[in-house]
Amino acid sequence: MSIDPTLWPKLHGASTHFPVALAMAAALFEGLGALWPKSSPRKAQLHAAGYFTIILGALGTFPAVLSGLFMTKGRVLGHDAELFHHLFVWPAFALLVGLGVWRALVGEKASPRGFSIYLTVLLITAGLMAGAGYWGGELILNS
Amino acid sequence: MNLSIEHRAFASALLAATLSLGGAWLAARPIQTAASSVLAPTPSSATMPSPQLLAQGAEFFAQSCADCHGDDGHGDEGPDLHNLAISNARIASQIKNGTKGEMPSFGRKYHDQQIAALVAYVRTLR
Repeated sequence: MSIDPTLWPKLHGASTHFPVALAMAAALFEGLGALWPKSSPRKAQLHAAGYFTIILGALGTFPAVLSGLFMTKGRVLGHDAELFHHLFVWPAFALLVGLGVWRALVGEKASPRGFSIYLTVLLITAGLMAGAGYWGGELILNS
Repeated sequence: MNLSIEHRAFASALLAATLSLGGAWLAARPIQTAASSVLAPTPSSATMPSPQLLAQGAEFFAQSCADCHGDDGHGDEGPDLHNLAISNARIASQIKNGTKGEMPSFGRKYHDQQIAALVAYVRTLR
């Protein structure tokens, strides 16, 4: 049985946008939630949205990374645009998984200091995901 | 030891991140091996290019490719071209059209038959 050679690029394309979008959405929701006045019920709603988007984003990285590994035949770095893509992807992947696990375990019990660190790392991760997405797009458009 | 929930969560997060990254990098090796043995096209006697075509391809390679990919095709400024696990059509398209900012296009320098010779030669790099 032969595998359609376009299967993995298609799966990677289909799966990779979820973690990128969810990481950015989580940063947006959590950031807005942090800025929102304490008295407003919207604050808790924004943090709840951030909670679920970061967990779904972390879960979404696995199909994206696996399909990417199959697509590149196991190349973890590559060269040129692919290298740049991977230099953003790998730290973003590890950070997103770590953030998802931390947020899932801590839930509502985060201290202000703990949450500030989480939010800072989340913003960095969202930036790395954006970079990974940009260089992924460069790979597609210029090849 | 009384660790706060945040510290325990941090330890779990660190472990999950390390395992995920390490797992992905470890998984890459068997995928690489499987891809090179199963997915890479193997020339059969029916599709074996002629020695003349290969010699022509080698000549074009030395003229236009060796500067970046190395005399032996093992890569220099450009990538290693041994055991490429992509189709002939994709190699030909890469040679013909290049990649903006990374590799020049050779569509004007070589016509399709000459590019086919280059592809045949690149395929011998194993």
